Amino acid sequence: MKNLILAVLLAISASAWATEDSYEFDSPEQRQLFLSLTEELRCPMCQNQNIADSDAMIAHDMRRKVYNLVRQGKSGDEVITYMKSRYGDFISYKPPVTPVTLWLWLAPLLFAVLAFLLVVKRRKSSPPEDMAAKLAKAEAMLKQDNK
Amino acid sequence: MKKLFIFGVPLIAFVILVVFLFSGLFSDPRELDSQVKGKAVPDFSLPDLMAPEITYTPEVFSGKVTLLNVWGVWCVTCAVELPYLTELTQQEGINIVGLYFDQDLDPEFGTKTLNRVQQEVRDITGRFGNPYAFHIFDVYRDTALDLGVTGAPEHFLIDHHGVIRMHHVGDINERVWNNKVGPLYRQLKQELAQQSGAE
Repeated sequence: MKNLILAVLLAISASAWATEDSYEFDSPEQRQLFLSLTEELRCPMCQNQNIADSDAMIAHDMRRKVYNLVRQGKSGDEVITYMKSRYGDFISYKPPVTPVTLWLWLAPLLFAVLAFLLVVKRRKSSPPEDMAAKLAKAEAMLKQDNK
Repeated sequence: MKKLFIFGVPLIAFVILVVFLFSGLFSDPRELDSQVKGKAVPDFSLPDLMAPEITYTPEVFSGKVTLLNVWGVWCVTCAVELPYLTELTQQEGINIVGLYFDQDLDPEFGTKTLNRVQQEVRDITGRFGNPYAFHIFDVYRDTALDLGVTGAPEHFLIDHHGVIRMHHVGDINERVWNNKVGPLYRQLKQELAQQSGAE
């Protein structure tokens, strides 16, 4: 158990350290903004990493840019817009809702509704057969076998 | 009717899935929608790599069709395409301009001297061919970022108004030139000829 806690602590401290670089900030809020932005921005080179994790040169440059913009007092949205105007919607891990991406939210919902309707319909369309009639039929078959 | 439904619906769903996945096989995740296509070259003021006293602005692109080649000596593919690009300048007379940026030159802790960068560039172009009219030195890699560059080599076809008409990620070889870049280049040349003819 102790080892596990140690491992978790080590993992956390390593990732925090990796994003820090040598940047200095005027306030803890700016540092927080920088950290959350570098986590949300996606590296265009190593496409499954955010720029906080990636060691590609472009990620270094983007971190430097984010740092400078944050130091200039830009808000988080302004930095995201800045990057989007250069690299497109791709650059953010939060997809915007557009007619194309709307299906990401709609499709699972539609699927669930459809499945629900199908289940309800199944239930209704197969009414229990008359037990008495079934028994009578079985009785008749038995009699025939006995002959 | 019910049988048709039971077989038909999964079949249609299957076909849609196959088409979707099949098209995914040929889509390149590196091919991003370029944000600068159709726009003027973003503003910059950068020195010439070989003669730093000269300063370039987007003005240098007006009046001719330019192929802007983003490159660096540290990039292997860039060196590979140099012979073909050199051949192209001889065959078609293209105006190829380099947007040079250095990888080792960390803007925060610059350690490399300009002399060394110049020497490295001379070495490479001496060995593989020199297609460049001149090099714009993107010292802080800001202009590369403004252009949406993700690595090297990347190419931008710029028309005589200084508007970016194509953003090509990756190298230019014979196939890429014949199928993609060449046709647009000739079209831009024609636009330029038409305009200067009209004046």
